[in-house]
Amino acid sequence: MKSWGESLGRGASAHFSRVGWLRRALLLLAAAACTAAALLYWRQQLDDRAHRPLHNLGIEPQWTWICRNERCERLPASESTILQSLPTCNMLCASTQLWPQPTGPVSLATAAVPVRADGISLKVTASPSREVTEHLNDAFALMRDDIKSLEKTADGKRRSDIGSPRDILVRVAVNGSADVRLRLDTDESYKLSIRPNGYTLVADITAHSFCGARHGFETLSQLIWLDPYASSLLALEAASVEDAPRFHYRGLLLDTARNYFPVPELLRTIDAMGACKLNTFHWHASDSQSFPLRLNSAPQLAQHGAYGPGAIYTPDDIRAIVRRARLRGIRVLIEIDAPAHVGRAWAWGPAAGLGHLAHCIEVEPWSAFCGEPPCGQLNPRNPHVYDLLERVYTEIIQLTGVDDIFHIGGDEVSERCWTQHFNDTDPMDLWLDFTNRAMLALNRANGGKLPELTLLWSSRLTRSPYLERLDRKHIGIQVWGASRWPESRAVLDAGFRSIISHVDAWYLDCGFGSWRDSSDGHCGPYRSWQQIYEHRPWTEEAPAAATGAEPWRVEGGAACQWTEQLAAGGLDARVWPRAAALAERLWADRAEGAAADVYLRLDTQRARLLARGVRPAPLWPRWCSHNPHACL
Amino acid sequence: MEDFILLRALEAVKTQVKMFGRWVVLSLVLLHLVLCNEEKTGDSPNVYEPSWVFKCVVDEGCQRSNSPQPATNASGLVFESLEVCRTVCGRFGGLWPRPVTAALSTQTVQIHPNYLRYDLIDVPVEAREMVVQMTHVASGNLVDECDGNVTELVDTRVVVYITVKTANTDLTWDTDEQYMLDVQTKDGSVAVHIVAETVYGARHGLETFTQLVAPNKPPFSDNYKCSLRLVSGAKIRDRPVYKHRGLVLDTSRNFIPIDDIRRTIDGMAASKMNVFHWHVTDSHSFPFESTRVPQFTRYGAYSPYEIYTAEEVRELINYAKVRGVRVVVEIDAPAHSGNGWQWGKEYGFGDLAVCVNAKEWRRLCIQPPCGQLNPANPEMYRVLRDLYRDIAEALPKPALFHMGGDEVFFGCWNASEEITSYMKEKGYDTTVEGFIKLWAEFHQKALEIWDEEMIAAGTVNPQPVMLWSSELTQAHRISKYLNKERYVIEVWEPISSPLLTQLLRLGFRVVSVPKDIWYLDHGFWGTTKYSNWRRMYSHMLPREPNVLGGEVAMWSEYVDAQALDTRVWPRAAAVAERLWADPAPGAAAAEPRLQRHRLRLAARGLRSDVLSPAWCAQHDSHCL
Repeated sequence: MKSWGESLGRGASAHFSRVGWLRRALLLLAAAACTAAALLYWRQQLDDRAHRPLHNLGIEPQWTWICRNERCERLPASESTILQSLPTCNMLCASTQLWPQPTGPVSLATAAVPVRADGISLKVTASPSREVTEHLNDAFALMRDDIKSLEKTADGKRRSDIGSPRDILVRVAVNGSADVRLRLDTDESYKLSIRPNGYTLVADITAHSFCGARHGFETLSQLIWLDPYASSLLALEAASVEDAPRFHYRGLLLDTARNYFPVPELLRTIDAMGACKLNTFHWHASDSQSFPLRLNSAPQLAQHGAYGPGAIYTPDDIRAIVRRARLRGIRVLIEIDAPAHVGRAWAWGPAAGLGHLAHCIEVEPWSAFCGEPPCGQLNPRNPHVYDLLERVYTEIIQLTGVDDIFHIGGDEVSERCWTQHFNDTDPMDLWLDFTNRAMLALNRANGGKLPELTLLWSSRLTRSPYLERLDRKHIGIQVWGASRWPESRAVLDAGFRSIISHVDAWYLDCGFGSWRDSSDGHCGPYRSWQQIYEHRPWTEEAPAAATGAEPWRVEGGAACQWTEQLAAGGLDARVWPRAAALAERLWADRAEGAAADVYLRLDTQRARLLARGVRPAPLWPRWCSHNPHACL
Repeated sequence: MEDFILLRALEAVKTQVKMFGRWVVLSLVLLHLVLCNEEKTGDSPNVYEPSWVFKCVVDEGCQRSNSPQPATNASGLVFESLEVCRTVCGRFGGLWPRPVTAALSTQTVQIHPNYLRYDLIDVPVEAREMVVQMTHVASGNLVDECDGNVTELVDTRVVVYITVKTANTDLTWDTDEQYMLDVQTKDGSVAVHIVAETVYGARHGLETFTQLVAPNKPPFSDNYKCSLRLVSGAKIRDRPVYKHRGLVLDTSRNFIPIDDIRRTIDGMAASKMNVFHWHVTDSHSFPFESTRVPQFTRYGAYSPYEIYTAEEVRELINYAKVRGVRVVVEIDAPAHSGNGWQWGKEYGFGDLAVCVNAKEWRRLCIQPPCGQLNPANPEMYRVLRDLYRDIAEALPKPALFHMGGDEVFFGCWNASEEITSYMKEKGYDTTVEGFIKLWAEFHQKALEIWDEEMIAAGTVNPQPVMLWSSELTQAHRISKYLNKERYVIEVWEPISSPLLTQLLRLGFRVVSVPKDIWYLDHGFWGTTKYSNWRRMYSHMLPREPNVLGGEVAMWSEYVDAQALDTRVWPRAAAVAERLWADPAPGAAAAEPRLQRHRLRLAARGLRSDVLSPAWCAQHDSHCL
């Protein structure tokens, strides 16, 4: 047997570093002495069956990880001459630990150097505008905060024998867009190279936009990790990464109407999205249950629609969310669903002399007039509705700064509700008419031109014969129907620009059963991260020659977190790490499914999210993290 | 004496660490308000604030209404606070689990913890210290309803008179948990009488008392103001239907920090569950410190920070006891053992366990990592004895121990030459029946060791132990190998299985954990299906004396501290009511009370899932 004292001398300084050096030395001596004594004692007394301590050593384990055959293997520290922590082994062993996996060439050093968060500095070497420079500085500060919070998870003193930490100089050059916003045509690609220069690591990031450079920061931060044994940050000594996303719309939808989520929850969600290079926070802000946005243009909506005075997002809150998102390379796409999915927020019309803004508000039995309680649908014949929508749209565009893409909702209209009030007109015509007039309101709200892409949910309106009557030039469709439904495919075959949110793959709310007694209104089983990851509907496009269909125009996709059965507190574990799986699908779209290296990298990404204060659910038992590949 | 107790109660409240944080937050909020007020001077007040009131409507429950008038009682029962509405609306108000009988006044009286005291004159001296601790917990729970700060002071005197008839503080299946609770308000002061046979009945009475109190603050308030209102008159008679109301928590697949376990026990106490079944070890990791065998954690814990020290275990057992919860430690064996047992060779003991962490796990176990104790090695029993002795010393007397005993994988034993030759020696074939014999021999020896160690630790009569259902407990086998006086079988078969009924017919006592209904991890892996609280609530157990009760099970393959609360709550509370009150199966009638209970759990720091959109919580019976 190997001497415990020997391994202790090597590894214990990290292991026991939370105690003072004097205590450490004493423990060391005592431990060595006890080992020897105990061993001798044992050899002599093996037959003794009396009760006595087996051993006087500590109860604490110490593991080391060794890279063998491109895998990290866990061993008791006493069985190895190297003491290496799991994160360090993973970073230096076979696969990259980047998430999402870059799409261009990657080459990474297999040696690490100690660094510290305070030693990281930024130099903007080229920037097309002052605004870009300022945003680079602020985004860099956020990244450094992320690294600092990682550094703070160390619970001991830095080990001195690993050498003194290097500084990192981050040099950023942005050659391209002067606009800091994420646009439909933003080039998000970036190049990152790290190399030692004297005693400094120089990280060069070049990009064509602020967003691209920001992604470069994110990748850089993923090449820095905390070694728990050294209680120090380490960084790869050299690296070179070229990267660009496969899809330019990579979204996460959060519904804040069924249940309210306090602002810090949204900020944290945006931080986690940034960590995974998701770029669209689709904020399903209102629904028939509540309207939490306090808009200056229509404060009555929140007054009549919010759950309470503390369940409101003020314009300042929205600005703070937009600001954080922008620094994370994310657009905030606020959806005010219409004409269905509205409720009490719109009930104040008659009292204000505007007539009925909506019908069927909270009518019973609800099952006759809507898909889930409470009911409500805008009044398509009331011109005040469009005035209000215009004001609301104007304020949303002004608050979010997003004017090239807009979401006007448009799902699940109850024909019966409208028929009750307008029996002279086909409700589908009313719906089409409503959509056209809402688009006109949007046109006015956007300074006399339509956004490049206006999104509608897939619905009966996006099926033949109505689909043909929609403006293909401006309207895009977010397809939530199941991937096997013919109408889901028909939208793509008709050449509409589309965002994929197939309910059978990317609905994060499924699998929790029905929240009502009377219905089976749930959407089947839980979507595991593997299912989310392996869903690639765009590979199913038939050759155009065969069908005569238009080429598909898949802009990207979004995972949807509806919140009938979710509120603050449970959010993180429901969304993460599953949304991260989607992020890599949309960023890298690698042909292989959830292969072994995907488990390993996603597990590392989960640890990163944890260090940033997100509470993701675990992928598996911790033993499987400790023994990479052993659980597959 | 009374003053002394009052002081103690105050002290307990004040010394809560979280209070400090809350004061800081409060002072920041106050500061912010002051600053904001300065900024806003001259402005007209914002007229666009949503302001709802809640009406208690017969047969419907609490309904949101946008009546602009401040709350008046002119047109029936109208409240600013949904929580106060729920506390008086309906036959059982906001109580969870439902008591046997309750008569509640619809009136409430404002109270403040500073003027709450407990009179323990009718508590036997031996039990008094424990009851004092229980009252501290109750007072803390009241303050939590206002997020740590009851801002509105009133000097209504509230005196809780507690009567406990027996001095015995053991918590067992025989403990009498019933209680009577009466609340009377007279001349501006409130007298609360709790009468119970045991301290645990008194604790349940205190829990119910705190559930008669609600924060008088609108839902989603943006205001720091909070007062407490107590139902001004109540008469409650209550006792549980089942004596074993448990939650299994697995802390081996993923480690669950001790604070999270404590919080889980808080939730159990709030729901009157009484057994914390601690599946502390498995083949994955061994986080439980054994003072006699430090190798268990040294070779079995995930890290130095993922260990339950003996001191922490002792504290947890006491923490649970004060909350009416018995800790049942499970050391799963002979299967589900691996990491923590793999050091035998190195110490000259031979293989204590076999197949540990074997590669190609599919051949040797049902999930990685593999591992099964080595019944051919007498040293294994010696080490097991040391472990059992540590546990026997730690558990409160009379101890209830869970010996595991599920899912023995014969292929693992069959792959060990040491074991197959031992079997040959003993005359066991290497057939299923032969392995069953070996398995039964293990349990027989393990029980002998446990009994001896229990006697050594000071227990006179042999105590029953628990065992999971398995191949060994099949109806045609069990009587041959296991004594029904000694083993209580925890049946985890799906509800379609006849095993539960068969075991009852054979005279075994059982605890039921139907895996297709009461497993909290289902729905996240394989083809398993998630049960929501309605489904869990609606499942009923046979009412027979030998059905001791049931448990919900939180296996932790896909759960750690991050996801724990939202997986467990409020679903475990649904099962808690099933086991305590066993009411009619319909979940709809229970929903408003569970909505209240969810917020109660949230106030006590549990991140419980929601039952529905908040609109439905504000409109009882309108989302059916």
